[in-house]
Amino acid sequence: ENSPAPLPERAIYGFALFLGSWFGFMLYLIWAYVPETWLFSLGLTYWPQKYWAVALPVYLLVAIGIGYILLFGINMMSTAPLNSTHTITDNYAKKQQQKKFQEEAIPALRDIPISEVNRMFFLPEK
Amino acid sequence: MEERPYRSASGAPIALRRRQHSASCRELAVRCPRLQLRSLSAVTSAVWLAAYALFVLSENSMVLSAAIFITLIGLIIYLHFVKIDQESLLVIGSLGIQVTSSYASGKESTTFIEMGQVKDVVINEAIHMQKVVYYLCILLQDPGDPQGVSEVVPLFQSSKPRLDCLIEVYKSCQEILEQRKTGLQSS
Repeated sequence: ENSPAPLPERAIYGFALFLGSWFGFMLYLIWAYVPETWLFSLGLTYWPQKYWAVALPVYLLVAIGIGYILLFGINMMSTAPLNSTHTITDNYAKKQQQKKFQEEAIPALRDIPISEVNRMFFLPEK
Repeated sequence: MEERPYRSASGAPIALRRRQHSASCRELAVRCPRLQLRSLSAVTSAVWLAAYALFVLSENSMVLSAAIFITLIGLIIYLHFVKIDQESLLVIGSLGIQVTSSYASGKESTTFIEMGQVKDVVINEAIHMQKVVYYLCILLQDPGDPQGVSEVVPLFQSSKPRLDCLIEVYKSCQEILEQRKTGLQSS
């Protein structure tokens, strides 16, 4: 029942959002460009300062730019350093159960210790 | 005793020297790339040109002598604390592993890990600054848990050899480390 197919309800939501976003944009343009005296003469006095009509987009763009750098930095900070045991194992691997070996069955999935992996890769098979 | 050329992770030429002192004692030394004359002269000229530009702007001749002083002191500090000439690994079968770094000024810094603490010597892969690097490391045994690893000691951090050199070092170390297992089983 969760298909992405178009439904009548979704079409109505989409159209309502479309009208709402156009209305919001027109309201923003009116607030930014129409002089204050005209707005006062119409009786609309309680609006935020026009300073914010320029400041908010600038804040938004600077926040997006900083967000790129911040995400990069957070990633680099959470990468484990070369001398930490997190590069080798973690809590799930330490607590894993050893399943018994059955003949002719595919071995169970498990986290193989790094010494065994190294021996398999780098020491020649005898 | 043999010496073979390899490449570091950044492409600079390094050399691996293997010496077998006895049946259970091996020394593996990696010689790092030398300080290049062109990078030294590039840094020196950059610092001196910047100092000359400051001198032209400020008409203060102290800037020039300060630049010369800074260059000399900076070079000495770099050679003594930063530039590693050779990193070596001495594996003695029943005793332990000794890791030595020799700096360009002649200083040597040594770390010894006794064999009881060494669990294994492995080649590990990890992410380091947007790259995946292979590096050799010593796994230290966790005293409470026979399967656990308490600490990871990365080796050859300045010379950064590539995988082919690491495999040679790994094989040499494993030949010695295997002896202690057979020694335990036989005794």
